[in-house]
Amino acid sequence: MEKQQILAKLQKAVEEMENDLAEEAANEAVAAGINPQEAISEGLAKGMQTLSQLFDDGDVFVPQLLLAAEAFEAAVDIITAAMSAEEKSQASQGKVLIHTVQGDIHDIGKNIVKTMLAASGFEIIDLGRDVAVEEVVKQAIEHKVDIIAGSALMTTTMPAQRDIISVLKEEGVRDQFKVMYGGAPVSQEWIEKIGADAYGETATEAIAKAIALMAEKRGA
Amino acid sequence: MSCQVVFQPSGRRGMIESGSTLLEVARELGIDIESPCSGTKNCGKCKVKIEEGYYEKLGLTSHISHVSPLTESEKIALQPEEVRANYRLACCTQIKGDLLVFVPEESRSTQQIVLETGKDRLLQVNPAVHKYFVKMIPASMDDHRGDFDRLKASLLAQYTHLNQELSIDYTVLLSLPKTVRQGKWSVTATLWKNQVIIALEPGLVEAAYGVAIDVGTTTVAAYLCDLLTGKVLQQDSMMNPQIRYGEDVLSRITYGMNNDNGLAIMHQTVIEGINTLVSRLSEASGINVEQVADMVLVFNSAMHHIALNIDPSYMGRAPFAPAIRASLDIKARDLGIRIAPGGNIHCLPVEAGFVGPDNVAVLIAEEPHKQEKRMLIIDIGTNGEIDFGNKERLLSTSCATGPALEGAQIKFGMRAAPGAIETVLLDPVSLEPRFKVIGEANWYHPSQTIKAKGICGSGIIDIIAEMFKSGIIDTSGKFNMQLSSPRIRRDAHNKPEYVLVWAEETSIGSDITVTQGDVRAIQLAKAALYVGAKILMQKWGTNQVDSVTLAGAFGSYINKESALVIGLFPDCDLAKVVAVGNAAGDGAKLALLDADKRTDAQAVADIIQFVETAVEPDFQTQFIQALNFPHSNDTFPHIQHILDKIPTIKP
Repeated sequence: MEKQQILAKLQKAVEEMENDLAEEAANEAVAAGINPQEAISEGLAKGMQTLSQLFDDGDVFVPQLLLAAEAFEAAVDIITAAMSAEEKSQASQGKVLIHTVQGDIHDIGKNIVKTMLAASGFEIIDLGRDVAVEEVVKQAIEHKVDIIAGSALMTTTMPAQRDIISVLKEEGVRDQFKVMYGGAPVSQEWIEKIGADAYGETATEAIAKAIALMAEKRGA
Repeated sequence: MSCQVVFQPSGRRGMIESGSTLLEVARELGIDIESPCSGTKNCGKCKVKIEEGYYEKLGLTSHISHVSPLTESEKIALQPEEVRANYRLACCTQIKGDLLVFVPEESRSTQQIVLETGKDRLLQVNPAVHKYFVKMIPASMDDHRGDFDRLKASLLAQYTHLNQELSIDYTVLLSLPKTVRQGKWSVTATLWKNQVIIALEPGLVEAAYGVAIDVGTTTVAAYLCDLLTGKVLQQDSMMNPQIRYGEDVLSRITYGMNNDNGLAIMHQTVIEGINTLVSRLSEASGINVEQVADMVLVFNSAMHHIALNIDPSYMGRAPFAPAIRASLDIKARDLGIRIAPGGNIHCLPVEAGFVGPDNVAVLIAEEPHKQEKRMLIIDIGTNGEIDFGNKERLLSTSCATGPALEGAQIKFGMRAAPGAIETVLLDPVSLEPRFKVIGEANWYHPSQTIKAKGICGSGIIDIIAEMFKSGIIDTSGKFNMQLSSPRIRRDAHNKPEYVLVWAEETSIGSDITVTQGDVRAIQLAKAALYVGAKILMQKWGTNQVDSVTLAGAFGSYINKESALVIGLFPDCDLAKVVAVGNAAGDGAKLALLDADKRTDAQAVADIIQFVETAVEPDFQTQFIQALNFPHSNDTFPHIQHILDKIPTIKP
């Protein structure tokens, strides 16, 4: 099969949320010797972009988005199976530490962003929910992540986002990380007020912001 | 610099330090502006218009330059023509000079319709306070006992069931010598739990009164009861005056966290509200507030803490621990509540962080813990509370439905107030709607006086169900843009919407639409509720619901069939789905009139098992499955005949 056809098939598998088709196309890509990074960026990622656009327009909703991400991940597993950890890391868009802030237990939104980030080539460390402020900072330093991403779903837990920034400053490591936040009550104003780096209104916006932050970080 | 700010149409004004936002100032001046997001700049509902010009009568010059520049949030929330007409969001706009501000009708928080009558319930009249008439032996040179000793001896001699450790409230003691002599040694003592004299009146007085109050996040409902007959003499309600500090419990907790004295201010505000209600009720019944001898309060956990002036901050975040769970008896005077000064305020117990005394009140009213049948009880308010079980086992949870089901987060959502669309039907062929607005008895007709202003909770459930039934949206919530109807179109941002009312038939001058975003908001809210119920059922060990009880005002107005069609709760025979109105208020009345109900309340609060559904391992999977209409996997045999008629979308 032609390379272009395989790439198109990878894209279609994600757009149509078909796990089996994604795995089939991934195996074909491996057999045809297509560069893994190309298979992801020119095939799977394009499909994900279509889905993100449809999600933004309201044409698809959370379940469809997650199904597409599943298909994406299934294909990525096959395509990258032969790659070494180092190669995988080089191919990574960046390393993101994601969590739901201290005091908050709602994490579906965070999980969607996580899935979308992974589907966009980011390496993810997920600390789960109700994660202590100090723990977030400790893990960020330990794993040398590029981006700290956190969500707060209640007005009562938003202050934890500010506290993370304060602790980063106290530890003198603020400039080592880009910090981005989201969650229903969070806004651009809040982000500016507490001195974080970016705000994602929706999951797709979060991905775009993460990519922009990485460009900034790697450019700097 | 201080600036003069005048709000229209109320005409309220104040001298304000520059730098405050219009929303803050409006709250201070007591002007209720819609702010469902509580000033977090998310909802875009607090639109106000900055008037320009010199206003001689007011002695001020108002100009758009007298406010801070347009913010990003406003650029998103406001239409370009609104910006040109000097509309701003009150939460974003800081005052920089003298201003005349107009609050448009759509931004005003309007009086809500409150359901005050629950269903008829049997009750036993056995209040916590009783009146006892005694003739005392007058003081004499041969009898040197004190007046209290004399009163106590007479009471115990005449009424042998009284507690031997009889005591007297300090405030009653203050007037005791005078009262007994005024009554010529014949007095009527009011006893709390047959143990404490909490009031004393000269002569024979039979009448005894109590007040039960349900302090809701949005509404405070109060009932004046005759403690002898068990009759409700008067009932009254008001908007919770704390609403100006935030529409939901979280924003109130946040207000307390972010403002010095925030808690004290909110506490004071609600106590004043309670006092106003008690005095209105008393006046209407021709009695004195001091004649009210007993009170029962129910509320959600956050309102409980704030009303009692207890810091609610820690309840607003995981692990959501309340300061206390047990029921409380507090002297009225300690809370500043004006009834008999020695009177007692009984607060029903808290179940867990987000399941409060109001849910306990629902339980003592509905008594699922005494039934064979497995009852699902859903109290939909700003926060949803769910109970499931029977006498074998009872479970409860709270779920973050968000305010969408009550009309917030919906583009044209509003409270249940005059002008709100409350019922909708769609013609399955023409896709044309018929609707009713609150304040008009009949289906909308162009000649009617009250025009549509927005859509309230019951109207939203209806329209979503009707759109699903007619194929305008599919099971995943997606619009079918293939249908040909001028009402199905794309908005300025290319997102699908359905025009429910054309602009000329409204009082707001623009089309009232149901957007794709609205459909998504309802999906999220209903999925939260559905999963809450489902997880309780699974924990209990069944997939069978014997009956569904919808408590709260919202539950009384929604169309049960529409609710089931969208999958608001698991399948159940519609004949077994009942709306019981304000069951929390009923429970409060029961606890006022029958002291045994207070014991029952504590007992049920102790046995009920609270489940934090959001941290269940498969919560997310279940939630995703529940997003579809009515559900991805679960069947709905009781409405299958309706689902069968839904036209399938041609590919």
